[in-house]
Amino acid sequence: MIELNGLTKRYGRTLAVDRLHLSIPEGMIFGFIGPNGAGKTTTIKMMGGLIAPDSGRVEINGIDMGRFPEQAKQCIGFIPDRPYLYEKLTGMEFLKFTADLYGVDPGAFPDAAHAMLERFSLLGWKNELIEAYSHGMKQRLIMAAAILHDPKVVIVDEPMVGLDPAGIRMVKKLFQELAANGTSFFISTHTLSMAQDLCDQNGIIHNGRLIATGTLDDLKIQANATEDDLETVFLKITREEQVGRPYPQTAGD
Amino acid sequence: MSAIRTLLAPRLLSARNKKDISVVRVFVFGAIGLAFWGGLFAVSYRLLIYFRGIEELGDILAWKLLSMVLIICFALLIFSSLLTALSKLYLSKDLLLVHSMPVAGRKIFTARWLETALDSSWMIIIYTLPVLIAYGMVYSAGAAELFYALFVMGATIILLSLLASLLSAIAVMVTVILVPPGRIKTIFVFLGLLLFILLYFAFRLIRPERLVDPEAFDTVMTYLKLLETPSSPFLPTTWAFDAIRGALTESLGSPLLNGGLLLFGTGFTVCFAVIIADSIYFKGVSKSQTARRPFRRPRERLRSRNRTSIFPRPVAAYLEKEIRTFFRDQTQWSQIFLILALMAIYLYNFKVLPLERAPIKTVYLQNLLSFLNMGLAALVLTAVTGRFAFPAISIEGEAFWLVRSSPISLKSFLWIKFFIYLIPLLILTELLIVATNLLLAVTPFMMALSVATTLFVVPAVVSLGIGLGAAFPDFNSENPAQSVTSFGGLVFMFISAGYILAVVVLEAGPVYRIFMAGMLEAGLRLTDWLWMAASFGSILLLTAAAIYCPMRYGHDRLVKAS
Repeated sequence: MIELNGLTKRYGRTLAVDRLHLSIPEGMIFGFIGPNGAGKTTTIKMMGGLIAPDSGRVEINGIDMGRFPEQAKQCIGFIPDRPYLYEKLTGMEFLKFTADLYGVDPGAFPDAAHAMLERFSLLGWKNELIEAYSHGMKQRLIMAAAILHDPKVVIVDEPMVGLDPAGIRMVKKLFQELAANGTSFFISTHTLSMAQDLCDQNGIIHNGRLIATGTLDDLKIQANATEDDLETVFLKITREEQVGRPYPQTAGD
Repeated sequence: MSAIRTLLAPRLLSARNKKDISVVRVFVFGAIGLAFWGGLFAVSYRLLIYFRGIEELGDILAWKLLSMVLIICFALLIFSSLLTALSKLYLSKDLLLVHSMPVAGRKIFTARWLETALDSSWMIIIYTLPVLIAYGMVYSAGAAELFYALFVMGATIILLSLLASLLSAIAVMVTVILVPPGRIKTIFVFLGLLLFILLYFAFRLIRPERLVDPEAFDTVMTYLKLLETPSSPFLPTTWAFDAIRGALTESLGSPLLNGGLLLFGTGFTVCFAVIIADSIYFKGVSKSQTARRPFRRPRERLRSRNRTSIFPRPVAAYLEKEIRTFFRDQTQWSQIFLILALMAIYLYNFKVLPLERAPIKTVYLQNLLSFLNMGLAALVLTAVTGRFAFPAISIEGEAFWLVRSSPISLKSFLWIKFFIYLIPLLILTELLIVATNLLLAVTPFMMALSVATTLFVVPAVVSLGIGLGAAFPDFNSENPAQSVTSFGGLVFMFISAGYILAVVVLEAGPVYRIFMAGMLEAGLRLTDWLWMAASFGSILLLTAAAIYCPMRYGHDRLVKAS
């Protein structure tokens, strides 16, 4: 469902992402974790077609993002960490806007939007301007907009920021339901407890390189750790990686 | 097309959903705009009637004026479009949202270009219309002819605007591939300013005032010969001119032909722009997110915190922050360049004043001009304060929470801002006053008066800027420096101009008495002394009020808003 082949991106002389290879099948929830500045957001932006990689390829549902960006994006529900929303639009108007661009059937839109707003506890706010929404409500609205068109792949950067406990539980349940129906999730997060609970597999990126990937058990083996705790495993792996290779990494290393 | 319509929808819906529109603000802005529009029309109409009354030469001058208006209009459209296209295509806040959608790059470009065309041209079109309407009314025989002429002029100006915005969008797309967007803005602004200054000095060198001087008749004939030389047939402004001129002289062929050329040219350019956009627009967007501006780290000793400061620590902290962020912001450099250019032009005007040919005594005229210069320099100060000090609160932007959460009162914060901007503006204005007085060779009394008056006026104007900037902040603006064009900025300009006028009027009487007493070597009477005391006392009170009241008002409004 998601294929990343030799993905590389430089910022000037700094290598932000270095030959990233990853394959995420249908229905998997994949957690992408790493320290600040590791290359997570850059990877996500390349996957979402917002920036072009210097080399390598992104394939979404078998479609090459570089060659057929519109078709590839059609399959994606994209949720950035700091989403921009049109403050002077109402929640419903914003959903209509995204629905029109994603080609959602106009006849089916009202019911779909209603169901989505109800699911995300925004039904009472659908006709209020977005500028009146709290941060958590804006986050929920952007999620609603991202999955309204039934995407095959959902790419999300820090999904739980700003959500209250009820919201977090609702989102986890929703992601699991959609994954069970075949939707693949690529979740970038710092909340390791959430990654441990929700994700089927996790990948650890550090200094632009994918240094470990697999289930929690796989990562424990790689880290030679005995603790059943992703945070401990993560810190062990990244510390060992830090000792082995100095930061920042420049092109040609 | 539906994708383009959808991409434009947020703009239309946002405008429709705006609830916080103040009727007072709309009325004030509308009245000022209408007054300016009417004034332009009146002057244009009057001038054209005058030209029409001059045999043979009048029409030549009128057509040349029209040609110049169209060229200036086109140049302004291109410059305006360059900056707007750069913002819309590469720097807007919703860029990532829109590019994450399954919409082709060329469609995103088309939607953005349409917004650019509208935003960059509406004001220029509105304020060119009174000139064109004046032409229509002066040169058309009847109502039907006037309607025909207005139709041709309207269509022509719209096509010129579209063409200007297309050319700008293409130039921006190509340039972004070569240069980071952050740098392009600065480059375009500098180029625009350079062009403006060159045009101004070229205009001054031509010395058009000679046209009204009978002694320059021989050279006028040479000048008029130059006026008659035709413009290049490949320029869109030539097509526009020929179409409008044809419509005004009731021809059918010329407007059809030249209008057709303009239409075809615009259509061709649309297709060309879309093809270019398909190839390179997304590459530019991708590049704009990854390009880094080289940042020279400050030297170690400058970052040392162990130095002794003459200011209290909060003041020193804000001062340091303000100076660093000011000089690291490239958009401020273009504003500084503009200020220096304006000052150079201001001083140059004083240098070339033909005082020796004036019918009144030179020494009287010099000192009169010096007195008026105080007011003019204060108005220049108002413009500069509007650009730098007025947005000083808004420029905190989303970081204003730091100010609110810090252990410094809002009152202290505002006064810190006041003193940060007071010192450089005081130095700038005093330099301007002293330099112009030296060029005018004024008496020592006028020099002392000008310097002393400036010493009082500058704090008042700066206080108005900071105080009213705090009363009408805009923390969400993408370009806070343009907040002077808002309602609050307009209020500031009016009050500041009113204060300056009041000071000039209050000083005029006593200064005249003192000056004439000096010229005639006569003493001052008791009534003169009382008049002086009352006038200068009033100025002191007015200045004190102008310093205290805006700061108090700004503080109260800011507290209420927070």
